[in-house]
Amino acid sequence: MISFSQVSKRYPGGHTALENVSFDIAQGELVFLTGHSGAGKSTLLKLVVAIERPSSGVVSVNGQNVGRLSRHAVPYLRRNIGLIFQDHKLLFDRNAIENVVLPLAIAGMERREALKRARAALDKVGLLKREKAMPVALSGGEQQRLCIARAVVSRPSLVLADEPTGNLDAEYAAAIMAMFKDFHRVGTTLVIATHDERAVGALGGRILRLEHGKVLESNRMGIKEDLPEAEIRTFANAGPRPDKASE
Amino acid sequence: MNLLRAQLTALKAALSRFWHSPLVSLFTLVAIGVAISLPASLYLVLANLDRLAGHLPTQPEISLYVSRDASQDQAKQLGQVLSGRKDLSKARFVSRDTALKNLVETGGLNDITAGLDGNPLPDAWVLTPADPDPAALEKLRAELEKLPGVAEVNLDSQWAARLQAALRIGRTLVGLFSGLFALALMAISGNAIRSQILARRDEIEVSRLIGASDRYIRRSFLYHGTLQGLLGGLMALLILLVLVAALQGPVAGLATLYASPFRLGFLELSEQGLILLLAALSGWLGAWLAVSRTLRQVDPN
Repeated sequence: MISFSQVSKRYPGGHTALENVSFDIAQGELVFLTGHSGAGKSTLLKLVVAIERPSSGVVSVNGQNVGRLSRHAVPYLRRNIGLIFQDHKLLFDRNAIENVVLPLAIAGMERREALKRARAALDKVGLLKREKAMPVALSGGEQQRLCIARAVVSRPSLVLADEPTGNLDAEYAAAIMAMFKDFHRVGTTLVIATHDERAVGALGGRILRLEHGKVLESNRMGIKEDLPEAEIRTFANAGPRPDKASE
Repeated sequence: MNLLRAQLTALKAALSRFWHSPLVSLFTLVAIGVAISLPASLYLVLANLDRLAGHLPTQPEISLYVSRDASQDQAKQLGQVLSGRKDLSKARFVSRDTALKNLVETGGLNDITAGLDGNPLPDAWVLTPADPDPAALEKLRAELEKLPGVAEVNLDSQWAARLQAALRIGRTLVGLFSGLFALALMAISGNAIRSQILARRDEIEVSRLIGASDRYIRRSFLYHGTLQGLLGGLMALLILLVLVAALQGPVAGLATLYASPFRLGFLELSEQGLILLLAALSGWLGAWLAVSRTLRQVDPN
């Protein structure tokens, strides 16, 4: 589903966010991207949805070379991917349901059907009773759930989440992770970038650990070795947080 | 069906922007209306002058007044001379009695002429020169003045020709001003749209992130610009209506003094339609330019 081959990303000014990164993510996988701030997690997600283009290497999603997509083709790629942001990126002049309806409206769905599906998505994240609430009236956890509802309302086969529990307390974070588990159960591919060690491993899945723009392999036992160009193996059961001492 | 739905959604979004910022929208519409009404009012003035001049003879005519001392024979001889000249294409005799009758009928001077002892007007010939060239006309006038029995020779209708020439210049000016004000309209409309885009920067960025194409984002702003131009055009027509209504009384009063039934006319329906069409087109173009430029500035890529 997602394939990175020898991907590097250098920003103007010389900062290298990713360096020779290679890995594959199969359909239906649950993958955690972990690492410190600035390790390259967000850049990696941005490359998947063509917010950034690779400086070298090939990023492909469903066989499409994302780095070479034309400007006009990018929106169609993004419509098939659910995006969850740490800062939610909600529209504060629209109520909850209108925020969730937005991707469906963009896709040209008939309004009545779009509202029906938006309500189903809100129900899934436990916000159906707050469909008329403006985002400013929602708590941080509710705003994040609203963002998740918007990301999954189009029923995408791939969901990317950037620090989805970053600003939430343990209880809210657990609820969000439970939702991700549900999405994963129905076959959705999930890539979750997080430095929240509580979240990692609680759901199983695979861990891709990033450090200084390189991908390290990680498992229950902690980071095994630095393999910047190696294919990352899938771990059926990701364990507790990686040992900081070994990072 | 999807395309139609997308168009309707964009149109609704454009209308809701007017609804959500009524005061700003009103000011913009007034600015556009005034910008359009300036060349349109000049056009209207010219159209009315054109109408006024329309029934006037634009071919130069020469009025030759026969001397009151001239005998009947002299007058007849003069007629034969004039009829035989090749530099005149037409010669029409107007007797003094006919001239007085015409004056009474068209000039409304019945009271004045009734008080006169006799008819003060001379016999006259209305002549149409074969060559309308000003130099030839002047030469002809000088020759006619020397004929026996001639009291005075006046070149008529030249002012009408001059008016027509002035109207032609006016029409050219209308064209130029229309172009300039169309640019002004595009600038006003484009600036208003640009402000709208910047105010909705977050929405545009989020929409792009979740799959909105530039075409999708642009669409509602293009509708906004087109509607803005169209409503601005309507505003201009309203301004013109008010102007015509305000001037109708004084113009009618002036026309009455000249015994003319002239009244100020408004634009033809086709002309009104053309103004609305051009205004909508300029609004669309202004919006398109503003959206294309501003969308690049708010590109998350």
